[in-house]
Amino acid sequence: MHRGRIVFCVFLMVVTASAIYLALEWPFKAKLFPLSVSIPLFILAGIQLLQLLVGKEEIIESAAVDLEFSSDVPPEIERRRVITAFSWIAGFILAVYLIGFPLTVPLFICFYLRFESGVGALPTIAATAITWAMFYGLFQKLVHLQFEQGAIQTWLGL
Amino acid sequence: MFDAFIEGLFLVLQWKAFSLMLVGMGLGFCVGLLPGIGGAATLALMIPFVFKMQPAEAFAFLLGMHAVAATTGDITSVLFGVPGEAISAATVVDGYPMAKKGEAGRALGAALMSSLVGALIGALALALAIPIVRPLVLAFGSPELFMLAVIGISCITSLSGAGARGQIKGFSMGLFGLLVSTIGQERQSGSLRFDMGLMYLWEGLDFVPVLVGIFAIPEIIDLTVRGTSIAGERPAENLRSGVMEGIKDTFRHFWLVFRCSVVGVFVGILPGAGGGVAQWMAYAHAVQGAKDAADRERFGKGDVRGVLGPGAANNSKEGGELIPTVAFGVPGSGAMAILLSAFLIMGLSPGPDMLTKHLSITFSMVWTLVIANIIAVLLCLTILDQLAKVTTVRGGLIIPFVLLLVFVGSYTANGQITDLIVTLIFGVLSYFMVLFGWPRPPFVLGFVLGKVIETYFFISVARYGFTWLRQPMVVALIILMLLVIAYPYIQQQRQRAQGRANA
Repeated sequence: MHRGRIVFCVFLMVVTASAIYLALEWPFKAKLFPLSVSIPLFILAGIQLLQLLVGKEEIIESAAVDLEFSSDVPPEIERRRVITAFSWIAGFILAVYLIGFPLTVPLFICFYLRFESGVGALPTIAATAITWAMFYGLFQKLVHLQFEQGAIQTWLGL
Repeated sequence: MFDAFIEGLFLVLQWKAFSLMLVGMGLGFCVGLLPGIGGAATLALMIPFVFKMQPAEAFAFLLGMHAVAATTGDITSVLFGVPGEAISAATVVDGYPMAKKGEAGRALGAALMSSLVGALIGALALALAIPIVRPLVLAFGSPELFMLAVIGISCITSLSGAGARGQIKGFSMGLFGLLVSTIGQERQSGSLRFDMGLMYLWEGLDFVPVLVGIFAIPEIIDLTVRGTSIAGERPAENLRSGVMEGIKDTFRHFWLVFRCSVVGVFVGILPGAGGGVAQWMAYAHAVQGAKDAADRERFGKGDVRGVLGPGAANNSKEGGELIPTVAFGVPGSGAMAILLSAFLIMGLSPGPDMLTKHLSITFSMVWTLVIANIIAVLLCLTILDQLAKVTTVRGGLIIPFVLLLVFVGSYTANGQITDLIVTLIFGVLSYFMVLFGWPRPPFVLGFVLGKVIETYFFISVARYGFTWLRQPMVVALIILMLLVIAYPYIQQQRQRAQGRANA
C-alpha cells in the first residue's frame, strides 16, 4: 500500500511535469491557466511524496470526505476480485468495439450472470431477453440513440 | 400581480396542461433514473412536440419533465452509486455509503424530501424575484462570476481531509481537476491543449463519461470485492420507517436544507455556473456545518446531511435558473438555453413582457415547479420501499445491469466508443484515488468549474485589465472566499481552545 501511494504521487508528478512541458510551447493565453494550475500541483505532489518517503506511515493517513473501500476481505481475494471486475469492464468495452453495442448488451448480461454470478440457465435467458428488449425499445426505438457499428461488422461489410 | 398568480395556477390545472405535465413527469422520471441521458438532452428531444401546444401547456410539459429528472437523478446515486444525472453526483458521496450501511430507505427519503423543500424554495424565489431580479443579475458581470467560481473552488478546504496532509491532498485533487478541465480547444486563442492528436478531445472532456467513471466504477469494484449485496450482511432496514426517518431528517436539519436551497437558487441565477456547482457548493456547506473534527469525519461515510444539502440545492436551482431565463432571456444552463428556444417557438420573447404582459404564464411556470415536484415526490415515496429493496439483492445479480447503465449513459455523451474508454480511464484513476485516500470531490469540483473560471478570468482581464480586482462586489467576494478557505481552520482552532478550556 505504501509503495502504491508513492507510485500514485510519482504518477501525479509525471502528469503535471508533462503538462508543464507541453504548455510551455503554447501562446500566452493558452498556457497561462494550465501552467498556473500544474506548477502548484507538481509542488504539492512533490511535498506529498517527500512526506511519504521520510514520514511515518501511521501519521500519513488523514480521513478524506469520500468513500472508503471495505477492508474485511483478505488481500489476496481482494486483488483477484478487483482484476476480475476490471477484466469484465474491459471485456465489455472490447466487445462494444468488436461487435457493437446492440449485440454486446445481451451477450454481456448472459455471460456475466451465467459465468460470474452462477445464475441458472433459464433465469439467465429470461433476464437477457428482458434486458435486450428494454435496451432495444428504450434506446433504439424511443430515444433513437445511434450506436456505432462493431469493427467486425464493418470488416465484413454488413 | 395576485390575479396573475392565481391565473397561473389555473393555467396549469387545466386538464390538457395538467395531463401534459403528467406525461412530461413520466418521461422525466425515466430520464432521471438513466445515467447520461440528461434532462437537457431530453428537453431538446421533446422540443418538436411543443409546436402545437399553448404556452402554458408547453411549459407544463417541459418544466414538469425537467423538474422530475433532477429529483429522480438522486435515486440511482443513492442505490448504486451511479449519478443518474451529472448534477446528482454529490449525492453519491454520502447517499451510497448510507445504502451500504443498510439505510437506503432513509437516504432516499431524505433525498426526495429535501429535493421537494428545495424545489419549493426555488419556486418561491422565482415568484419573489420577478419584481427585483433586474439589479441583482445586472450587478454580476464576468469579474463577479469569476470570483463566484473561485469561491466554489475554495470549498475544497471543506471537502478535503482534516489537517495539513488532508488539505494538501484536497488541493492537489482540485488542481488536478482544473488541469483536466483544460483539455481541448482554448476558447480565447483557439489553441489545442493536451488533445494528443485526437479529434475527440478538441471539445474537451464531457462531464458524463468522466463523472460516471469517477463515481460508479470504484463503487462497482467495491461491490464485486465484497461479494455481498449493496447493504452487505447488515440486518434488513425497516424500509417504511427508514423512509420516514429520512423525511424527518429533512425537518430535523431544516435550517441546513434551507441554506443549501438558497445556495442552489443563487448559483442557478448566475449564468454559466451550472447545477453541478450548486450541488458541490451545498455539499461543502453541509460539511462546513460539522460541529467538530469527529463530526466532520462522518461525511463521506454515510451522513444524512451530505444527502440533504445537495438534494435541496439540486432542485432549488431550477427556480433560480428560470429567473434570468425569463427576465432577460439569459439562460442559466444548457437546459435553460433549450427552454429559451421553446419561448421563441411559442412566440414569446423573454424579458420585460414576461414580467408584465405574460405574467400569468411566468407564474404558471412557478406553479408547474411546485405541483410537479409535489406529485413526483409523493409518487416516489410510495414506491421507495420497493426501490430500496434493490440494495438487499446479491451484488453479482446487480452488477451487470449497473455496468450496462453506466456505459450506455456514458456513451450517450458523444455516441462514440471513446466515451467508454474515458469512463474506464477515469474509473481506474478514481479507484486508485480512493485506495490511496485522495479525495474525489475536490477533483470533480475543479473539473466542473475549470472552464467557467478560465473563461470569466479572460473576459474580465480583456474587458477591465486588472482594475476589476478593485470593484466593490469583487472585493466583497474575495473576503467571502477568504472566509470560506479559513473557516475549517478557524473551526479547528476554536475546538482546540474549547478542548483546552474543558481540560
